[in-house]
Amino acid sequence: MDGTAEQPTQAEPPQITRRWDGDALFRTLVVLTGISVLIVLGAIITVMVTGGWKAFSTFGPGFFVTAIWNPVTQHFGAVAPVFGTLASSFLGLVIAVPLAFGTAFWLTALAPPAISSVIGMAVQLLAAVPSIIFGMWGFFVLVPVMAHYVQPTARHMFGHVPVLSALVSGAPFGTGLLTAGLVLAVMVVPSITAVMRDVFVSMPTVLRESAYGLGATRWEVMRQVVLPWSRQGVVGGIVLGMGRAMGETMAVTFVIGDSNHIGWSLFAPANTIASLIALEFPESPAGSLKLSSLMALGAILMAISFVTLWVSRILLARGEARAGKRS
Amino acid sequence: MNENTMQAIASADGEAEALASAVSGRPIAIQVNNLDFYYGKTHALHNITLGFPERSVTGMIGPSGCGKSTLLRVLNRMYDLYPGQRATGEVMFSGQNILGSGLDLNALRSRVGMVFQKPTPFPMSIYDNIAFGIRLHERVSRSEMDGRVEDALRRVALWPEVKDRLQASATALSGGQQQRLCIARTIAVRPEVILLDEPTSALDPVSTARIEELLDELKTEFTIAIVTHNMQQAARCADQVAFFYLGELVEVDSTARMFTAPRESRTQDYITGRFG
Repeated sequence: MDGTAEQPTQAEPPQITRRWDGDALFRTLVVLTGISVLIVLGAIITVMVTGGWKAFSTFGPGFFVTAIWNPVTQHFGAVAPVFGTLASSFLGLVIAVPLAFGTAFWLTALAPPAISSVIGMAVQLLAAVPSIIFGMWGFFVLVPVMAHYVQPTARHMFGHVPVLSALVSGAPFGTGLLTAGLVLAVMVVPSITAVMRDVFVSMPTVLRESAYGLGATRWEVMRQVVLPWSRQGVVGGIVLGMGRAMGETMAVTFVIGDSNHIGWSLFAPANTIASLIALEFPESPAGSLKLSSLMALGAILMAISFVTLWVSRILLARGEARAGKRS
Repeated sequence: MNENTMQAIASADGEAEALASAVSGRPIAIQVNNLDFYYGKTHALHNITLGFPERSVTGMIGPSGCGKSTLLRVLNRMYDLYPGQRATGEVMFSGQNILGSGLDLNALRSRVGMVFQKPTPFPMSIYDNIAFGIRLHERVSRSEMDGRVEDALRRVALWPEVKDRLQASATALSGGQQQRLCIARTIAVRPEVILLDEPTSALDPVSTARIEELLDELKTEFTIAIVTHNMQQAARCADQVAFFYLGELVEVDSTARMFTAPRESRTQDYITGRFG
C-alpha cells in the first residue's frame, strides 16, 4: 500500500552555494572595460606631459608667456597658438550663440510641430557632418568670399575709423581668424541649439503660460521669464560648444592661414593649437625640441578643454537641479 | 404659478436665456454663445452658452476632462499658443467677439487675467514678479511702481509677510504665499476678469481658506471665474455654479439652488458624489 511505502526521494535542498554561471566572467569583463577608460585617459595625459616635458624644462614658465614660434632658432612659446585658439573659438561663439538661441527659441515656441521636428532633425544632421567637409566648404567657398567681398567691404567701411581699422587691417588672404570663427560657428550651432532646446522645453508650461496670461509677447516671455529660468543651462550649453570649438582641428586648419602671429585684425592669418600641431607634426623629428613643444601644446589644450568641460558640466547640472526643483 | 413651472417655461423658451441669467440683477461681463472647442479632432466643448455676471464669482464644477478648464482657456485665448486647438462660436467681452480675428491678444490677456493650479512665481524677486506684468503694459515711475506693488501685495494680505524682503527670490516663499503672489501679480495689471484654474488644489487647508476669503473681497471689483474640484469650495465661494459633464454645460444656476434643488439628475448625482 501507498501509505506504508517509503517516502519518495526527498527533493534536494535548493543550492545556495555559488556556482560558476558566467555572471562572474561578465562582471569581470565590464569592470575591465570601465577601468580601460581610465587607463587610456591616464596614458594620454602621461604621454602628453612626458612628451612635452623637454619643452617645459627647456623654456620653463617662459613657454606659457612667449609668443615666438621659430623652428630655425629652436625657440618655441605657446602664446600665439593659445591666442588663436581662444580668439577663433570666441569669434565662433559670438556668431553661433545668437543663431543657436534663435533656432532653439523658434523650434520650441513658434514653429508648428511638423516643421519643428524637421528642422530639429536637420540641426542634428548638421552635427553629424564630418569636419573635413566643413574644412573643404570653408576653403573653397568661404575663403574666396572673405577675400573678394567681406574683407574689402569691411576695410572700405571701417578702414578709416580709428579703433575699428585695426580689426580689419591686413592683406585680403581670405584665410584668418574670422573665417575660422565662421566655420566653427556653423559646427557648434547644432550642439548649442540642442542643449538650449532641451532647457527651454524642460521649463514648466504653466510658468510660460502665466507670463502669456499677463499679456506678455513671445519675446517678453523669452527674454524675461524663459531665459532667467534657464540661464545656467544655456550657459552650460555655450561652454560645451566652446569646448568643441577649441578642440576642432581639421576644418580650422583649412581656413586659419597658418601664421604664428598675434594681432588685432579679424582677417589676419593665425594658428590654433590644434591646427599648429596638425600642420607641423609631420615635420617634427622624434626627440626634437619642436616635437616636445607640440606635445606640450597638446597638454595645454587638453587642460583648457578639461576645464571648460568641467565648468559646463557643473553649470548644466545646476540648471537641471533647478529644473527638477521647479517642475 | 410656482417656481418649477416658471423654470420649465424658461427652459422651453430657450435654454440659452435661462442659463445666462442665473444671478439676477448683474450685467453680464462675458457672454459665451454656442461655443464649440476642438483639440485637433477631439471635440472638447459642445455648444456652450453661458454668461459670467459682473463682479461675482462663477464656479465651474464637473469631473476631470469635462471641459471646464478648456472653457477657462478660451476666455483669455490661452489655447491660441497651441496649433491645432480651435474654438467656434462667440465670446462677447466688452462689446467685442474675442474669438474674432484682428484681436490684440496681449491687451485681451491684460484685461482677463489668469491664475493657475500650481503657483507659478517667475524666477525673479517678489517685487519684480508684481512689477513684471505692470511693466508690460504701462510706463510708471519708480515711486508709482513701488505703490502699485505694495497695493497689490496688501490686497492679497501678503504685504506684512514680505515687506522686508521684497528683493528676495519669489521661489523661496511657501506654496500658499506663492499662490497669493500670483493673484497679486494678476490684479496688479488691473484686469476686469480673473480666471482661476483650481487655484487651491495644491495648497494646504489654511492657505486654501485664505485664498477663499480673498475671493470674497476681490469679487467686489473683479468678475471671477473659478474652476474647482472641491464642491464645498464652489458652495462657499461662488454666486452661480455651472456644472459640466463630457464637454457639455449640463446646468447653471445660483449656488443656493444648484446645491439644494438641481434640475438635472446628472447634477444631483455629481454633487452628491455618485460619480466624479
